[in-house]
Amino acid sequence: MNIILCVKQVPDVTEADIRIKKDGKDIEKEDLEMVINEWDNYAVEEAVRIKEKYGGKITVITLGDEESEDVLRRALAMGADEAIRIDEEGFEGSDPRGIALGLYHVIKDLPFDLILTGAQSADMGWAQVGVLLAGMLNIPYATLAVQIEIKDKKVIVKRELESNTFENVELPIPSLITIQSGINEPRYVSVLGIRRVRKLKIEEKFLDDLEIPPDKVGEKGSIIESMKLMPPPEGKGAEIIEGSIEEVCERLAQIIKEKGGL
Amino acid sequence: MIPERELFWHAGPKTLFYLLSLVSVSIFFYGLTRHISVWKKGLKKEKIHLSCKSIGSVIKDGIFAGRILKGDISAGIMHLLIFWGFSFLFLGTIVLAFDHYIYHFLFGKKYLFFSFSLEVAGIMLILGLFLAFIRRYVQKIGRLENKREDFIVLLWLVLITFTGFFLEGLRLSYQNPEWKKFSFFGLLFSNIFSKDTAYMIYPFFWWIHVLLSLSFISAIPFTKLFHMIASPLSIYIKDQPYFIVPVEEREDVFTYRELIQIDACTRCGRCVEICPSSGVGEPFAPRDVISLIKEKIFFGKKTEYDPKLIWYCTTCGACLEVCPIYIPPFRIIRELRAREIEDGTRVPALMAQTLERLYKYNNPWVSSKKRTEWVKGLDIIDITKEKEEGLLCYFVGCTTSYETRAQEIARSFSKILNRCGVRFGILGRKEPCCGDIARRVGEDGLFEDHTISCIELFQEYGIKEVVTSSPHCLWTMKNEYPLLKDIDISFFHYSQILERLINEGVLNFKKGLNIKVTYHDPCYLGRHNRIFDSPRNVIKAIPGIKLIEMEHNKENSLCCGGGGGRMWQEELDVDVKMSERRIMEVYDTGAEIVITCCPLCLIMLEDARKTKGLEESLKVMDLNEFVLMALE
Amino acid sequence: MILVLAEHRRGELRDVTFEMLSLAERISKESPMEIASLLLGGERGFIDKLKDFCDRIIFVDSPELKNYSPEPYLEAIKKAIDATSPKLIMISHSSFGMDLAPFLSEKLSLPLITDCVDVSLKEGRLATLRQIYGGKIFSEIRLKPYERYLVTVRPGTFEPEIREKRSASVMEIPFQAGTYKRRFLEYIEEKIEDIDISSADIIVSIGRGIGKPENIPIVQEFADEIGAVLACSRPVADKGWLPKSRQVGISGKTVKPKIYLALGISGSFQHQVGMKNSKTIIAVNKDPKAPIFNIAHYGVVADMFQVIPVLKEKLKK
Repeated sequence: MNIILCVKQVPDVTEADIRIKKDGKDIEKEDLEMVINEWDNYAVEEAVRIKEKYGGKITVITLGDEESEDVLRRALAMGADEAIRIDEEGFEGSDPRGIALGLYHVIKDLPFDLILTGAQSADMGWAQVGVLLAGMLNIPYATLAVQIEIKDKKVIVKRELESNTFENVELPIPSLITIQSGINEPRYVSVLGIRRVRKLKIEEKFLDDLEIPPDKVGEKGSIIESMKLMPPPEGKGAEIIEGSIEEVCERLAQIIKEKGGL
Repeated sequence: MIPERELFWHAGPKTLFYLLSLVSVSIFFYGLTRHISVWKKGLKKEKIHLSCKSIGSVIKDGIFAGRILKGDISAGIMHLLIFWGFSFLFLGTIVLAFDHYIYHFLFGKKYLFFSFSLEVAGIMLILGLFLAFIRRYVQKIGRLENKREDFIVLLWLVLITFTGFFLEGLRLSYQNPEWKKFSFFGLLFSNIFSKDTAYMIYPFFWWIHVLLSLSFISAIPFTKLFHMIASPLSIYIKDQPYFIVPVEEREDVFTYRELIQIDACTRCGRCVEICPSSGVGEPFAPRDVISLIKEKIFFGKKTEYDPKLIWYCTTCGACLEVCPIYIPPFRIIRELRAREIEDGTRVPALMAQTLERLYKYNNPWVSSKKRTEWVKGLDIIDITKEKEEGLLCYFVGCTTSYETRAQEIARSFSKILNRCGVRFGILGRKEPCCGDIARRVGEDGLFEDHTISCIELFQEYGIKEVVTSSPHCLWTMKNEYPLLKDIDISFFHYSQILERLINEGVLNFKKGLNIKVTYHDPCYLGRHNRIFDSPRNVIKAIPGIKLIEMEHNKENSLCCGGGGGRMWQEELDVDVKMSERRIMEVYDTGAEIVITCCPLCLIMLEDARKTKGLEESLKVMDLNEFVLMALE
Repeated sequence: MILVLAEHRRGELRDVTFEMLSLAERISKESPMEIASLLLGGERGFIDKLKDFCDRIIFVDSPELKNYSPEPYLEAIKKAIDATSPKLIMISHSSFGMDLAPFLSEKLSLPLITDCVDVSLKEGRLATLRQIYGGKIFSEIRLKPYERYLVTVRPGTFEPEIREKRSASVMEIPFQAGTYKRRFLEYIEEKIEDIDISSADIIVSIGRGIGKPENIPIVQEFADEIGAVLACSRPVADKGWLPKSRQVGISGKTVKPKIYLALGISGSFQHQVGMKNSKTIIAVNKDPKAPIFNIAHYGVVADMFQVIPVLKEKLKK
């Protein structure tokens, strides 16, 4: 079972204050730590578990700058065998299709049985790249997998739907699956693990090598003309109760008694 | 007639005896080499040095059962009786052999003295074995787990001793020598049978005795009896210098030292009795982990310990404090953790999250690098910004920097230093984690990273003196950094600095405080760093203070439950938490305030005070806060 | 024309269909256009339910379309587009739309913007509003000019209230199923053995801010004290600290209690979908910028563990 994994590096914003750059096109990333996209981390673990069970080789791919080699090394430490980084240059400002195109041009020449990737990313949250890639490669796919079972050259994917409901779908091999969070418990990657793969070579690909018409990627190839970031609209919602903890709780208790009919 | 004894009297065939002896001794040596070959696997970098101090320890704690006596006199007496009885009888056998094969000297008075001594030794052994039986099966002492092996070994020894005396009785009954009263115990058996019957059955019992004894020798390497060899070694190596193998050069986790120590465990259970985790009913027991590993490594059993259990240990070190032969289960457990960390698949989720935060953000608390929020409103030099060489460097530490309650430690300590006019500085936002958490939970690669960044920072700013808030930082820097890199820096805990300031007369208390207080020894300050008196001296320097000691104090202090990475792990649903057990002990002293010297203890005890509903009656204070209160 | 893809599952038309129709109505006010519903498979009864809300219903019926699968859906949608030539196609950003929309975009060369919380069409150009970085930032997107646009709309964002009553004409398109690689097998419903949070009057709900599982008893005790039921957001259930049946949100339960007390929940949209219709929402969070404050009625910027004991005392009185 040869697996191709597509992963992405994102800034960790769980406990950070995000500031928007002056031009409104991006956020200030200098103070932010870069981490592997949460959904992709589950995908790596799932790939490694499949490999441990059925054997095969895992190739992990990312599209990003040099710093994003960190997520590749992390995946290698978890159990991936080879890594490819597609350099970001020329892809800046791409829409999801542009990114998928970059991945497609690398993957189309590789042998594989399964492609796994996160269902979405923690930064832009498009939730598109996986399916677009499947479409380009002309292979069947399933999104939001919370369980994967492989049986005689077929893959049974349990998809998470809404309201506590799931569905099972069957895919042939090769196919592409996007992974929902919570599918497994990703293993811990030790510093030693990362050091051990420090010297593994990461293959680099550049836009020029990929035979992609340059006007298909980057801002030129994007369907988006402009994007403006802004803080979430404030004040339309909560009345913020201020004061000491005592005062605040007094007021809260009053509200709860009144509205809850206690 | 000259008193003497004919060896192999009425026994034989000798050749068969020699043959069996050879077999028995061969089995013994085969077993022994198996143990040694396992030890050797750990023996990579270390050399065992000859040391008089270590020999002294073996004499004190081995031959004179120093630590066995401590805290359990009956166990000590039992062991002394068995050990001395057994040793004399064993020596006696060698002397007899010498007398028989090499140089005959045992006759006359010498023989009588010899015979009398062995008689006494035999009686000691019997008394010791009797005491062991009573302890195990009548008193049923809680910490002793009774496995089949324990019973068989005891019974075996009893049978050997009794058949020995019985044979003596038979012999005396037949020979009836005039000096028989010197064999006063054996004599008791001499009247059971008539002279002829005794003569007839003697060879039969002789062979029983021989077979029991020979098989006993060959069984030593395969049973807990092996402690006869491994325990003195374990005591001997306890003071050998420690070393840390860089993770990348490490093939497996155990060093020869740990392997010998694991091998030496007799499952006496003192560690279980003292372990704070076992004490509050958690499923963890240090002995059980050690014996499972021992069975696995040395006897090839496919026993597997529950990997969850190794995360319970707080590395408080209480187990080492009571172990008669200085086995440190917490260090062995740390190595097991290192294996789990390397594997990665079974690391508890919260632990993994903490480690990732440590890796990315250099602290276990928040995903943020805002390390200096506690400084607000205080005038403190940032060494990394104002290059003033030779300042005392205050290493604040992660918990003290980030955790709201613990931040008070840093604020109070800084205020005291400022009041005393001590020039000091902090490393500000550049201060890394000291590496304690990584080390304790077995993330040794991360520990190396932390160590290197700390040392490089100290060197970059020419720091020669470091004072820490946390005894954990202190332990790591003072004892573990030098194992990775040569450094020339002195490390102190703030309680030592406060003590120094008092002794120098810089810090003095004009007003008194009329309060009853008690002091909680943090494991890493007390047991690990052996600093028991500095904080007490600081407390006592304040006039009017009445310091009451808790039931468990100094080296016997009870762990708060926060060390060894436990602070950042999921807790189990136990009735009483370690911290709650400790706070109840505080409560029992009747003190109004419990003072402690460690950010983790402070948080844990503060928490326990709330969950136990003692908010009205009791205060938890850091030593600095207390000193500042006395000053203001 | 705005073409809204009706979403149904297991014989039920899903609410989000009407939410999209209401959005379509708003867009058509600005740039007048016909509103059409595209119904693939499903039951004929759905036609009656949709009739009042759109001008046209395009119905493609086939057993292959009863349960969603991307390949037959692609073929049917292609037929519908050929027949109606819509300017804008709307699909919900649910497990259905997330699976289908990018596939359509790739196969039919449609420019796609996913997960929109607002959509407008001015002079034939699409503009949308999205939330990024877990709802901490909003992004306003203007697209380049295209003949046709595809968007997915975040469920639970728009009120399903339609002002203007319409009367749709029905157009049926025949469908010949082919052979497909992906096969739908079955639906699975997770058994609920725990209490049912959706019927509670007061819900105390915890999120990432709980920190560690041993803090749960503190909140549980508080909830018991005030007669509330304990629920949680996805991260808490993902970690297994509370059963999945306690999870509020898009993949968990939808709740509408009298009081929803959100403790340490930042309020991702997935969570909001499940609780935004609660009568009174009170949020306690350390982060003043937490998105939960946008939909809460009352907010407290504080550590939940400082609030709980005091609030418990106050409520006892």
